[in-house]
Amino acid sequence: MSTANTTPEISPAPVQSETCLLVLLTPMPQEQLDIVVGSLAATMPTENLVIAAPDGVSEALHPNHRLVPSPPAKASWTLTAADFVHAYELAQEHKADGVLMLGPNSVSLGADGLRDLARTVQSGAIDLVIPHYELPPHAGLVNSALLYPLTRALFAARARFPLAIDLGLSLRLAERLAGGASRFVSLNQAEAPLWPVNEAVVAGFTMKEISVGPRSLPQPTAPDLHTILPMVSGSFFADIEAKAAFWQRARKTPPAQSRIKTEHTASPEAAANIAPMLQAFQLAYTNLQSIWSLVLSPNSLLDLKRLYDSDATSFHLPESLWARIIYDFLLAYRLRTINRGHLLGALVPLYLAWVASHINWTSAGVDPEQHIEAIAMAFEQEKPYIVSRWRWPDRFNP
Amino acid sequence: MQIILATILQPTSQAMQPLYADNATIWRHMSEALNQSFYRVLSLLIAILPGILAFFVALVIFTLIGMAVAGILRRFLKAIKFDDRIARIRGNSDWTPISSPTALVARSSFWASVLLGLIIGVSAFDTSYATAASLPMSLLPYLAHAIGAILLMIVGTIIARFLARSVLIGAVNAQLQYARFLSLGVKWLVLVLTAAMALDHLQIGGSVVDLAFGIIFGGIVLTLSLAVGLGSRELVSRSLGSHVERTGEQHSTESSSTSETIRHF
Repeated sequence: MSTANTTPEISPAPVQSETCLLVLLTPMPQEQLDIVVGSLAATMPTENLVIAAPDGVSEALHPNHRLVPSPPAKASWTLTAADFVHAYELAQEHKADGVLMLGPNSVSLGADGLRDLARTVQSGAIDLVIPHYELPPHAGLVNSALLYPLTRALFAARARFPLAIDLGLSLRLAERLAGGASRFVSLNQAEAPLWPVNEAVVAGFTMKEISVGPRSLPQPTAPDLHTILPMVSGSFFADIEAKAAFWQRARKTPPAQSRIKTEHTASPEAAANIAPMLQAFQLAYTNLQSIWSLVLSPNSLLDLKRLYDSDATSFHLPESLWARIIYDFLLAYRLRTINRGHLLGALVPLYLAWVASHINWTSAGVDPEQHIEAIAMAFEQEKPYIVSRWRWPDRFNP
Repeated sequence: MQIILATILQPTSQAMQPLYADNATIWRHMSEALNQSFYRVLSLLIAILPGILAFFVALVIFTLIGMAVAGILRRFLKAIKFDDRIARIRGNSDWTPISSPTALVARSSFWASVLLGLIIGVSAFDTSYATAASLPMSLLPYLAHAIGAILLMIVGTIIARFLARSVLIGAVNAQLQYARFLSLGVKWLVLVLTAAMALDHLQIGGSVVDLAFGIIFGGIVLTLSLAVGLGSRELVSRSLGSHVERTGEQHSTESSSTSETIRHF
């Protein structure tokens, strides 16, 4: 794999004094829409605000606001490729300088958080504004286990929620994202997720994470984790594969922003919930050896055997082992060691093992964020492993 | 006395004389027959030798051409970043072959060339063989059938492995205790089906194969049914019971608990 330096220089977005902001909303009930529009109106002058909402929103109810209809889109639990295409088209149509995309159930976003997001986008100095949600300890686990550590280790970006459903975009980033999204739309894959953080980092655009407080994140409509997790991880792996020339170079992660720490109390009864996950892992260990042995290194398999033998109370998946597992799966995805659908399906029980381990840690009193930071650091420390194996996959790997 | 002796011995010596003469004739006849056989085999071999030579020459030449074409194609496709273009066009498609598109195109062109060489070689062999020899011609169609049967077996084995893995992973993720058993059952069903098709293609066994296939296939299905329905009744009920209990908990992206909710997204 080429290691040519493709790192573009970080270029700040051109600052404008009076910028017009387009806010793209997802379908929501009228009363929720009133609340969101009211919060937005309190944030900035209405003449600088264009609110795009799906059909059914009457402008008569909001006479002081510029409400425009947005193209109909299929309701989704996250921002999809179609949303990015629509956002850019509407921004062009209404000559907006920035775009604020609010995902489903945006009414749960606090007024302060919404204001901070909108103002940062409107300032025009930042290309990508991503929210930092305050979630319960056992929420957003795919983000914590997979997306955040990989984004931080490979792209040197401290985006705690790479799959955020509320985003602020400059026009140039919206254009770039719409360009990538239109390919998915033309392939009839309008519901594919996009990875704006990766895109912004590769393009050298500025990025800022804003604390927005608590937020109720909608869950996928498909009730099956075994369908959703491979879909999300597959899309993320594909994006990482496409940007391999970028992330193979060493980069320094920016320092963490200071945040107000929420008090975490140990809840030993939470550990009782891990039994089904452990069963899933143990069943997989006895049945999927033939597949895991094609993907994982012998050392990792040995560590998994130790984990299999451990009891529920002492079930702790080491951070470095989890990092290696994900890196091995990423490499197998790239090398197409086995069918990609099979590969990502075989990752699900390992992810459940991580969830069980995470719950064990937190129920023992460890702060969830502290554990997730330890995971992210392990991914950073193991980065030379994935870079080396990516370049020379046939080398001996103990 | 001497006359008597001479009279007695005379017929004997005369009788012995023809015996030696007959042996020589037999040997002569045998050697002649052997010579003729050897001559016939040799002449047949000489007659088909050009055909065999033509077959191998065609195969080697087209293999070399295939290697050259594959190499050129690989370089050209890499130069125009064919893989990246295909990845952009296809997006996150479910169909993800093990090899990259460039490797697939290069390999396809190579094997197409080898196949072409094989066809040309066989036809060259066929021509020289038909004109120069009088051996039964049923060997060639049989050879074609054998190649078809081998291809059937290869494709069948690949499909069997793919389906076995799909069933195994799906069953493990659904937390079915008999995941491996199901996977093995599916694998052998497909393999038996493939073997029956290959034998049928080779026209070996006739109706015996159909009958045997029906019995074996039905047997495997019956075994699976009995195992799931009767033999592993307790195991299955336990497994299904725990499966039902876990529904809405493990299989959803949001699992509720007494203390707090686990949300994967």
